[in-house]
Amino acid sequence: MQGPAPLRGRPPFALPEDSTIDAILSQLPGQLLDGFVRGLVYVAIALGLTIVFGMLRLVNFAHGAFYAIGAYVGLVVAERYGLAAGLIVAPLAVALFAVVFDRVLLRFFYDKEPTAQILVTFGVALVVQESLRLYFGGTTRSFPIPAALSVPVNLGFTQYPAYRLAFAVGIVAIVLLVWLFIQYTSYGLIVRAGIRDRTMVQLLGGNVALASTIVFALGAGLAGLVGAAASPIYSVDPDTGFSFLVPSFVVVVIGGLGSFWGAVIGGLIVGELQSLTTLVLPAASDVVIYVAMALVLLVRPSGLLGESEVIRG
Amino acid sequence: MKALRFYALTALGLALFPFAIHPIGGYGGLATQILIAGIASIGFNLLLGYAGLLSYGQAMFYGVGGYVALLTVSRFFPQFPNFWLAIALAVAFVTLMAFVIGTLVVRLYGIYFALLTLAFAQMFFFIVFKWRDLTQGDDGLQGIASPPLALGPWSIDLTTSFPAFDLGPFGNLSDLHYWYAFVAIVMLAVLGFMRSLVSSQFGEILTAIRENEERSALVGFDPRRYKLAAFVIAGTLAGLSGALRGLYETSIAPDALTVETSGNFVIYTVIGGVKTLFGPLVGTGLVMYLQNVISAKTDAWRLIEGILFVAVIVFLPGGVLGTFSRKGARTVLARAVRVRPESVP
Repeated sequence: MQGPAPLRGRPPFALPEDSTIDAILSQLPGQLLDGFVRGLVYVAIALGLTIVFGMLRLVNFAHGAFYAIGAYVGLVVAERYGLAAGLIVAPLAVALFAVVFDRVLLRFFYDKEPTAQILVTFGVALVVQESLRLYFGGTTRSFPIPAALSVPVNLGFTQYPAYRLAFAVGIVAIVLLVWLFIQYTSYGLIVRAGIRDRTMVQLLGGNVALASTIVFALGAGLAGLVGAAASPIYSVDPDTGFSFLVPSFVVVVIGGLGSFWGAVIGGLIVGELQSLTTLVLPAASDVVIYVAMALVLLVRPSGLLGESEVIRG
Repeated sequence: MKALRFYALTALGLALFPFAIHPIGGYGGLATQILIAGIASIGFNLLLGYAGLLSYGQAMFYGVGGYVALLTVSRFFPQFPNFWLAIALAVAFVTLMAFVIGTLVVRLYGIYFALLTLAFAQMFFFIVFKWRDLTQGDDGLQGIASPPLALGPWSIDLTTSFPAFDLGPFGNLSDLHYWYAFVAIVMLAVLGFMRSLVSSQFGEILTAIRENEERSALVGFDPRRYKLAAFVIAGTLAGLSGALRGLYETSIAPDALTVETSGNFVIYTVIGGVKTLFGPLVGTGLVMYLQNVISAKTDAWRLIEGILFVAVIVFLPGGVLGTFSRKGARTVLARAVRVRPESVP
C-alpha cells in the first residue's frame, strides 16, 4: 500500500496546491474510467458476497480469499499456458475449492449465529492467506499482459490501456450473464425464491441445498475469475484477499446485502468515489468509502436497494 | 472472603507467571506483552461474550490509545513528560471516541455491527496512516522513551530490572523489569473490575439483552444504553492496553490499527474462551507464547495460528477455558448426550 507524497506543513486533508480546476478537468475522463474499472472489480466480488448472503444468510469473510486464490492460480497457469488458460482454470479451481470448503466445514455453520459464521470464515481466510504466503512468498507478483492488449487505445477524449477496456467489457458481459442465469433459468428461479423464503421453497420441493451449493460455487468462481483477470491491473500479494474484501463489504452494505443490482450500483459508486477523491483529495481517497458506508448504515441500514426488513442478528 | 481469595490467588498467579513460562521458552518481556494485550482482550470479551456484539474494530481504540500516549510525551507536553498524564490523556480520548462511535454502532446487530465497527477502524487506520505531520505515517512514532512513573515523592524508572536472584530452572529475578510489576497490578485491577462488573446487575442485564433483546426492552431496560456502556468499557480497556503498549515498546506504527490487529483480539478471546473471566487472558497468553516459540522456528506461524483458530471454533466452541473448566466440561458433556431434535434439518 503506497501513500501519496507527504503533505508536510499543511493540514492532512487539504487540497493539493497545484490542483487548479483545469488540471483536475483534464484528468477527469481517465479517472472516471479508472474508477469504473476498479468499480467493476468490486461489483464482481460483491455479487458473490451478496447472492451467497441472500441464499444462505451467511456473510463470508473468506470471499476475499477466493479472489486471492483465483489470482495466484491464474498467475501460475498464465505464466505457462497463457492468459486465456489462466482465465478458464482460475474460476473452476476456485469454485471447486469453494464447494469443498462448503461441504466440509461451512455447512455445519449454516444455522449457527452470524457471529460464529463470521469467525469460521475469517479463520479460513487467514489459513488461505498464510498458505499463499508460505507457498508463493510475501512479495508482490505481477501478471504478464499479452502483447496485443498492452497498447493504449485512443478513445477520442483520452488514451486508455487496451487490457483495461477488454477487462471492463468482459466483466460487464459476465455480470449480465449471471443476471440472466438468475432471472431466466430454473436454478435461478429457486435461487430467487430461496432468497425470499427458503423454507417455503423446500416445502414446495425445490432443491434448495443443490441451489445453495451452485450459488456458492458461482459466487466463488466469479471472485476467482475477477482475481485472475484483474491481477494484470492490480498486482497480487498474499494480502490481496483482505484488501479487496473489506471494500467489497462496503459495496454490499451501501448497495444492500442480498441485492443483485445493489452490489452493481454499490460497486460502481465505491470505485468512482475512490477514483474521484484521488483526483481532488488524494489523502482522503481511502477514508472516503468508509465514511460513505458509515453514513449509509446509519441513515438507511438496509442499504440503497436492500429490502427494508428489520435487521436483526 | 471470596473476593479476598480471588485477589490473593490472582496476584499469586500473576507473580509466578513470568517464571513459570521460563522453562518452556518464555521470558519477562513476553509476560509483560501478554498482560498488556490481555487487557484489551478482557475488554473485548465483555462485548463478544456478554453483550454478544462482535466488534471488528478494537484496533482503533488500541492504536489510537498508543498514539495519544506517545504523542503526549513527545509532542503535546514535551517539556513536561509525565507517565500518568500520557495514560490519562490516552484513556480519556479513547473513552470519548468510544462513546461517540458507540452511540452510532449500537443501533445495529450481528453482521452489520461487525461491518460498521470494521469500517470505523479502517477510517482511523487511514487517518493515522495519512496524517504524516502528526503520526509520521508509515514509519510510526519511534524511540519515545517512557517518562518515569511518579508515585508521590518517588520517581520510578520502569525499565529498571529487579535485583539478581537465581531461581534455577525458572530463570533469574533480574529477567524481570519493574514494568512487569506495574502491568501486573493494572491487570489485577482490571480482572477485579471485570469480575464485579459481570456478576453485577449490569452484567446480568447485558446477558439478558444478548439472550432476548425485545423482552429486556419490554421489562424496561433500554438495550442501547447497556450495549453502549459495554462498548465504551471495552474501548477504554483497549485504549489503556494500547497506551501501555506504546509506552512499553517506546514506539507505535499504523499496523496497531489494522484489521489484523482487531482480528487478533478476536482470536485471543475466542481461543481462550468467551464468557469466562480468565479466558481472554489465557487465550492471549497461549497465542502470543506459541507465536513466540513457533515463529522462531518456522515461517508458518500465522498459518498454524489460523488452523488453531478454526479448530477451536469447530471443536471447542467454548474456547480452551470454557471447555476444560469444570463447568465447561459439564456443558460439553450435557450437549454430547442430549438428543437434539433441532439439529435435524
